[in-house]
Amino acid sequence: MKKSWLRDYIIKRLFYSVIIAWGILTITFVLVRAGPTSPADKYLANIAASGQDVSQVIASVEARYGVDKPILEQYADYMVNLFHGNWGWSFSTSMPVTELIKSHWIYSFQLILLSSLFAAILGILIGIYSAVKQYTKTDYIATFLSFIGISIPNFWLGVMLILVFSVKLGLFKTYYDTTLPLFSLANLHALILPIITLGTGMLAGYVRYTRSAMLDNLRKGFVTTARAKGLPERTVIGKHVFRNALLPLVTIIMFDLGSIVFGGAYLTEIVFGIPGLGQISFNAIFANDYPVVIAVTLIGTLLVLLVNLVTDITYTYLDPRIRYD
Amino acid sequence: MTKRLQDIARRIGRPFYGNRRLIKYYWERTRRNKLAVFGLAFIAFLILLALIGPLLTLDPTSVNFEEKNLPPAGFATEKSVYNIETDDFTTTEVFGIWKHPLGTDSKGRDMLAMIVSGARISLLVGLIATGIAIILGTIIGVLSAYLGGWADNVLMRFTDIMMTFPFFLLLVLIVFIFGPSLAFIVLVIGLTGWTGTARLIRSEALSLRTREFVIAAKALGASDSRVIFRHLIPNVISLIIVIATLSIPGVILAEAALSFIGLGDPIMASWGIILEAGQHSLDTSWWIAVEPGIMLFLTVLAFNFLGDGLRDAFDPKSNV
Repeated sequence: MKKSWLRDYIIKRLFYSVIIAWGILTITFVLVRAGPTSPADKYLANIAASGQDVSQVIASVEARYGVDKPILEQYADYMVNLFHGNWGWSFSTSMPVTELIKSHWIYSFQLILLSSLFAAILGILIGIYSAVKQYTKTDYIATFLSFIGISIPNFWLGVMLILVFSVKLGLFKTYYDTTLPLFSLANLHALILPIITLGTGMLAGYVRYTRSAMLDNLRKGFVTTARAKGLPERTVIGKHVFRNALLPLVTIIMFDLGSIVFGGAYLTEIVFGIPGLGQISFNAIFANDYPVVIAVTLIGTLLVLLVNLVTDITYTYLDPRIRYD
Repeated sequence: MTKRLQDIARRIGRPFYGNRRLIKYYWERTRRNKLAVFGLAFIAFLILLALIGPLLTLDPTSVNFEEKNLPPAGFATEKSVYNIETDDFTTTEVFGIWKHPLGTDSKGRDMLAMIVSGARISLLVGLIATGIAIILGTIIGVLSAYLGGWADNVLMRFTDIMMTFPFFLLLVLIVFIFGPSLAFIVLVIGLTGWTGTARLIRSEALSLRTREFVIAAKALGASDSRVIFRHLIPNVISLIIVIATLSIPGVILAEAALSFIGLGDPIMASWGIILEAGQHSLDTSWWIAVEPGIMLFLTVLAFNFLGDGLRDAFDPKSNV
């Protein structure tokens, strides 16, 4: 009964999410279909060389993929197909979009999961330590390093790691082998540099947020009370301060999960040749493979919306005082 | 009485840039933060470099294959040369020369000159695109807060859509479809990057809207535009400065990342373009990828230091 407002809230949010997703889908659709490129482009060089009639071939290719119809009709077709679970056909890889995504999403997921774990665990620990030892040398060093961490361009960091550890020292191979199992030793080894590349920025961010959230709470009255009761410092920090600092941290970490999917992870996958969604959408954009581009954009959007909703709901459990209207 | 009220409203609504004492106060607070001062100094150096640097360096476009792939002065690198008589590779050591203090690229162009002219481009991209984004964000944020009602609703839902859009994918998509010209890239980054600013400005303006001096101004018959330009915007200007400082590095990085994946303007050698060329020759000439990256990193670091310092200085609650 107490949480009945939450159900209404979730329904309202889901409704908004659908509208936002539809808006983004439409914008992407218009962008890719209204652009001056055509799926027939990749055949043009060959056609010209073989002496065939160019316009005829373009027409037949466009008819095959249904891009010769008026854009409104294409849009209607696309939406109808989407509701039937048909995401279209990938021009460049000649397979259904759903198949393509099914066979590649796991690599992105693995990279993002491992990087987030690495960043969150290490970042929170360093942040707590830094806050507890405020204004000591360790704190200054941690703060300074976290500035460096958030400022270092992650694609450049990736290139530098390859330069030092692969090219000069020969310690890591930098390619991911899809024929081996996901969590095989060789692939985990190949993922170490990408995880550092993607994780460093997040790690530095978490150090800063943990530190400031901890400091906010360390000054509060209940901490003095807890200390006055004679509780050991471990309990004061771990139970009283950290639990209260957790709320803003959860937001940041969840928000990052949503936003890194197409920022950092995208570039990291390209630098290290990891065959995840970032890599396939990148290839798809350069190959004019519209259905894949739209599908990946839609998946990214839905993911962000879902993560945002889950974050807001998690709040209400972490802090029962929070109510949304 | 009316005169007095008007006077008070004018004084409180006075923008801080018109108030010398306030500027001095903020400057004193910023100056106490050593990292912020370092950031400011580096940015000043960078602007100077971009303005007069190209006059002092060699021509960044002059190609010289005799001097290609030279390492920075003081460094040495090994070069394999195929010898047709012995049908074998002979390895010779190549030393950097002071004519090219930062070395040369694969076409023998001077790296120092390229880095300096790249500074001009990257900095321009950062400033102009941020300017567009900040102006748009401020207008949308203030309008949304001030108009309220359905206009607020429409503007904020649109902001939601733009915010949820996978930003980098959108950027790559638009630039790929419409071609990578630098002016266009700047425009696209500016037109897509305003959402965060709009949100922040809106929430700030919402709380300002109910404050006494705004109500007083309205009660005295001030027009909407007067309230917005005299009372709302001057009071969010410190927030705008902080947001702008902290978003410039993101914009510079976005352009660099675009160039890095091959969607940069090939005519304008920004740092990202140089870096892109360098990543393909890591095993033979490492400096081509290292140098522009260091500049990018230091620039981002400097803006982050300064932005952080300014935020602390403007925030009366924080005690540096």
